Amino acid sequence: MHDGGQAAVMEAHWGGGAAPFGATWQKTMMWIFIVTDALLFSGLLCGYAFLRQAAIQPWPKQSEVFSIPFIALMTFILITSSMTMGSAVTAARLGDHKKARTMLAITIFGGLCFLGCQAYEWSHLIHEGARLTGALPGSTLAAEGVPPVFTQAFFVLTGFHGSHVLSGLIILIVTLVRWSMRKTPSQGVEMAGLYWHFVDLVWVFIFTLFYLL
Amino acid sequence: MSDTQAGTSPYRIYWITWAILLVITVAMLAAEEFHMPRWFLLVFLLVFMMVKAVMIAGNFMHLRYEKRNLGIMVGLGILVTSLILYGFVSRESAHVLQQTIR
Repeated sequence: MHDGGQAAVMEAHWGGGAAPFGATWQKTMMWIFIVTDALLFSGLLCGYAFLRQAAIQPWPKQSEVFSIPFIALMTFILITSSMTMGSAVTAARLGDHKKARTMLAITIFGGLCFLGCQAYEWSHLIHEGARLTGALPGSTLAAEGVPPVFTQAFFVLTGFHGSHVLSGLIILIVTLVRWSMRKTPSQGVEMAGLYWHFVDLVWVFIFTLFYLL
Repeated sequence: MSDTQAGTSPYRIYWITWAILLVITVAMLAAEEFHMPRWFLLVFLLVFMMVKAVMIAGNFMHLRYEKRNLGIMVGLGILVTSLILYGFVSRESAHVLQQTIR
């Protein structure tokens, strides 16, 4: 490519214009939304870091409070659903209507399983005395010396993430219905996919920073 | 997409990414069992967390097939903002902890 052409491409990609990212406006807006949502989780995780670093009580060992194999199962479910979502996007792009529908349905099933696991984990911890304000006096968790900031961080982080999974599931169900009725183009599946992968991405950070570290 | 070349399944990249993510997850879980120094475990987990994030964003979200400036806006934007925020939070938490101990 000669210099003039190169300059024109650079101008188009870096200097603004109609398509500065070389993507459709729908995809650009979706990415901007994802960045803002990621910053929300960044703020929440930094808040968690603050609570943990400023805590005067020792931070409990996660494996003594949670069942880590169970959390690993949740991670497996989410990663698998992300893989099937990626396959759904590619199938939709290639015009394989049936495969895209099947993959979307499997992704929704995975999301439901994840939410079910989260509901089980929450109810289990609440049963052990965990509350948003801290462990109930006299409960199992209080006996283990779990500080209030631990349960606060747990409910806020997993609660926000769970609400994103729920909204992602609603988006996926609407997309599946519209795709089955041939009312949405492949780009609709791609946008739903971007959001679903983002939910998986956030879990990678929560899983490592809250459950493992 | 480069993976739609003749003879290669377009879905292959997802299976490979999925398998690598699972292996990394298992390695991260197993790392806890080997009683390694805390700083090493910290670095190990953080590095693999970032590898997983890059793989999801690049392969599942197709960021590697997009224009580079989109990837820079997303990746660098989130990373730099988060690091600045964590820098402030970290200083403040150390200060609060000192005040509490006193």
